[in-house]
Amino acid sequence: MRATNMKKAILKTRLLAPMVAVALLLTATAFAAAPGIKATSFALTAQAAYVSQPDGQMIYSWGYGCAQAPGASAFVPQTTTAPFCNTMQVPGPTLIVTEGVPVSVALTNNLPVGAGNTSILFPGFTVNATGGVQGLLTQEAAPNTTVTYTFTPTSPGTRAYYSGTQSDLQVEMGMYGAIIVLPKTIPTACTTGLAAANVTVEGNFGETDFRLAPAAYNSPKACYDREYLFQFSEIDPNIHTQALAQINAIAACKAASTPICPNLDVPTEPYHPAYFMINGRSMPDDMDPNYSPQYPHQPYNGNPHMHPGEQVLLRIIGQGRWQHPFHEHGNHVRILGRDGNLIQSATDANSLAGPLLFTTTTTPGLAMDGIFYWTGRGLNWDPYGHNPNSTDPVAKLSCIPDANGYNTGVAAQSQINYYEWCADHNKPVQVAPFGDVAGGGPVTLPDANILTNGAWYGGSPYLGPNATQRATGCSSDPYANPKTTCGGTGSTPPSGTIANPPGSEAGFAFMWHSHNEREITTNNIFPGGMMMMMLVDSREFQIDESN
Amino acid sequence: MFSGKSYHIWLPILLVCLATITAGAQSFRVQCPTTTITHPTAANLEPAYTGPTNFAPGPAGYLVPNPSSVNGAIKCQQISGGDGFATMGDGTQTYMFSFGPLSGLSDIANGLPGTQFPDKFNSVYNGTLLPGDPATTGLATFKFNGAVGLVPNLDCLAENAAAAAQTPPAALPCPNLPAGGLDGHVDPRPIMDIGVLNGNIPAPLMALDEDDEFFLTLTNVGQIMRPDLFEQHTVHFHGYPNASAFYDGVPDASVAINIGGSFTYYYLAPDAGTYFWHCHITPPEHLQMGMVGQIYVRPRQNRVPVGQSLLLALQQQQQDPRTKCDSSADILCSNPLPRVPNVLLGTRATTGNYAYNDGDGSTYYDVEYPLQIHGFDPNFHFVGMTFNPEGFTEMKDKYFLLNGRSYPDTVTEGPLQTMSADGAMHFSQPLPSTIKLKAGQKALLRISDLDVTEYQTLASLGIPMKVIALNARLLRDQAGNNLYYNTNSITLAGGESLDVILDSTGVPAGTYFLYTPNLDHLSNDAENFGGLMTEVRVTN
Repeated sequence: MRATNMKKAILKTRLLAPMVAVALLLTATAFAAAPGIKATSFALTAQAAYVSQPDGQMIYSWGYGCAQAPGASAFVPQTTTAPFCNTMQVPGPTLIVTEGVPVSVALTNNLPVGAGNTSILFPGFTVNATGGVQGLLTQEAAPNTTVTYTFTPTSPGTRAYYSGTQSDLQVEMGMYGAIIVLPKTIPTACTTGLAAANVTVEGNFGETDFRLAPAAYNSPKACYDREYLFQFSEIDPNIHTQALAQINAIAACKAASTPICPNLDVPTEPYHPAYFMINGRSMPDDMDPNYSPQYPHQPYNGNPHMHPGEQVLLRIIGQGRWQHPFHEHGNHVRILGRDGNLIQSATDANSLAGPLLFTTTTTPGLAMDGIFYWTGRGLNWDPYGHNPNSTDPVAKLSCIPDANGYNTGVAAQSQINYYEWCADHNKPVQVAPFGDVAGGGPVTLPDANILTNGAWYGGSPYLGPNATQRATGCSSDPYANPKTTCGGTGSTPPSGTIANPPGSEAGFAFMWHSHNEREITTNNIFPGGMMMMMLVDSREFQIDESN
Repeated sequence: MFSGKSYHIWLPILLVCLATITAGAQSFRVQCPTTTITHPTAANLEPAYTGPTNFAPGPAGYLVPNPSSVNGAIKCQQISGGDGFATMGDGTQTYMFSFGPLSGLSDIANGLPGTQFPDKFNSVYNGTLLPGDPATTGLATFKFNGAVGLVPNLDCLAENAAAAAQTPPAALPCPNLPAGGLDGHVDPRPIMDIGVLNGNIPAPLMALDEDDEFFLTLTNVGQIMRPDLFEQHTVHFHGYPNASAFYDGVPDASVAINIGGSFTYYYLAPDAGTYFWHCHITPPEHLQMGMVGQIYVRPRQNRVPVGQSLLLALQQQQQDPRTKCDSSADILCSNPLPRVPNVLLGTRATTGNYAYNDGDGSTYYDVEYPLQIHGFDPNFHFVGMTFNPEGFTEMKDKYFLLNGRSYPDTVTEGPLQTMSADGAMHFSQPLPSTIKLKAGQKALLRISDLDVTEYQTLASLGIPMKVIALNARLLRDQAGNNLYYNTNSITLAGGESLDVILDSTGVPAGTYFLYTPNLDHLSNDAENFGGLMTEVRVTN
């Protein structure tokens, strides 16, 4: 949804929801990964630019960017489509480095002269700085000069970096980013067993591996199958307006060769943020692709997808000045570590001791790594709507439990119900049969007329296009019974506003959002802000994180 | 002050009733089967836990339980989605978007969970329910806990009676009709009489036991004070692991329930813990306006026969993939076997209960208190009662609530009632927050926070708080070491919960306080005394 065409369209709050859905339809399928630049030396610049908000505002901001465009091979994951690193972006470039390998970051201060010096802090590392001038917290780059920071990452994990100069203003203006340290050695457990099997299954369904590494830490408990990075921050637009006005005034003063020009003095209190962002974007913009050309200064998105059973690494950073309770619908998150420190049991280094949280509170400057998964275990009904009496072979797939109750055998690796929870296999949820899904279950669905369907509703209670189309009797499947073709929209009216199409995706959508609920607004408009939809997709749906 | 407006009220009620009729007779209905696949034998009690449920392949292609090994029971509850008024600590009547009880009315008014076994839920009120009940009839005489509106399905009874003799039950015009015709058919009139303006803060309390099947019916009675709105409502079970999107209550990802309709949410109770629930429609608005409630799940360990080993019971749970916690295979479970067995507390106590399946008795408590933290912004609530759009950015709470009340109302016994716009008194805030302990007893505080604007801290003056669980998960590492800690304050954001045990052992009898050290939250709007505070009373 572009700023320009939305700007005047939102007359009433309640108009936005269908518009969001329309916007999603217009964009290509686009997911998230944790994209960044993998290197040992980085040439960054600090510059000003305007970032886009979904209410149509363009906010004057400062940020880090690439002094020169990195070579194509520096962008990871390597399968990323058309990545770029402009001279300013919010958040700054995600720097991807390896444990034990020295890193250098050269920062050139190309901010407007009135902004004064700038710098980068790398909390958690012992940093040497060369060049620049002495600042309070670190060496700083004066306008149009360069400072170089070098350090050796001593432990893996996700961390924040941000300005150490006049931080109350510069961080608010957008000067922050993420640094991901990959482990030096990968535990065997992360390249064998179920971890290896997931790569095989991805391949069987034509998917690519988008991980930066098979493990987050040097621990057999830190294996993962997918990963997403979420950086939380706020914008108080008044601060940005004042900063721009003062920068312009100082520039005009200097241009006129006035002997004494004012210094930048932007009040950062009282603080009234109106924009609440994840990865520099507010919902729904955060669900547009990574490196989408319409956000030249906000390249990173927040649009997680996963298959049942996949261990998903969440890299979560608080980059603003407020705390935000990030609520992950669907399951808990096991916190692996904070700021690159794995939290281990006092009696066994291979046992985790981090908490299980359904709300991962972000704290300014704090990064945490956690593992999430969704399997449907304990639902007490079969989310795939399997029906042993169907004529559709996909409805009659087997489910052979492993030691933990999941369908993970070699035979299952090419079935769409890989990792199904077998104890509920074939178990119905509804009293009456629902299309080609058997009855005999516990609940009765009401007349659909008393319900309002959401834009991300898959069209039925079931997971995946096969189950959804069988359930709703809308299928082009030759085995469907009854044999009705209703197009690709299942039971979900109206057909023009579907973000999770019954005919091709029909995932289970879960909202991931700030539970300080007023932060899921964009400058007083709901929905917006710190919110996204996470999709659990059956293996019928290819998850493509290449953009 | 609102009684003069009552003529405004009946037109929308009439419209809602008409909508109900035109959308079909089953728009309002409740669901509470007496048997299911999982609970094949009708029972209205929790069987003792002696081992996992045994399953075998059934004729329809799915696993069915051996009836003699079944754990848990069927539980049902009905709530209204609508509006109401509450009384703030300074006496102000505040307008709310809110849920209210439509079953378990007596229990809710007495501060208990409104969750019922099928026999209680499927009972018919003998008489005529009055607007405002149970407040109108009075707590002393009102004992009804069944589903409001439930009546025999007379049409079905007549049709079945007219069918040929010897017709098998499944082939009757209304197949498998329960005895007495109680198939969930409701009369909408008592639902509107009771449901309109019966909003509660917090919303009706729910409590389950692990292995229960829960049927929660949400009946949207409309918002009588806001006839311009056509608000849907939903129930989000916050923190449920492996939730289905369909029953997750997010309107964007599922279905939302229109005015004049009922929808039954279905879940097998998740792992034990302190969860909470709320409407997920326009959350900054509906949560701020009051659509927040509490739900907790009690562990299997409570059902272990007295005197038997808790460790053995936890080992039994390890035999079932659904109930086990194998840290080498599952990163999202928090109660592996304790590393150090506890000899002293290792058997099921004769009294009290446990918060989690700990296997070592370390989460034992004598009394439990759900405590929900919330905040109301009076400006937002005022605008919410008018026809103007609300702003979100400058939202600022001025009432700081524990179970919907501010001090000193938090220690008022019994339900608080509020005169609402229909001229009737309603039990608006049923839950007091006084923590009552006999010396030597332990109290479990199930604390959740649904504030939508800021973090809140709750401190204990005198008695240390032992934090045993965060976000409905036991604090135990994967090696089995308990990670409990003592503190005198806890801080929560909206959307978080934790469990605290207060141990009065060695504490002299007297009154102690739970209060917020966010000192500006110790106020009731303009009154500078009150707010987020309650009392802990220790007696000999």
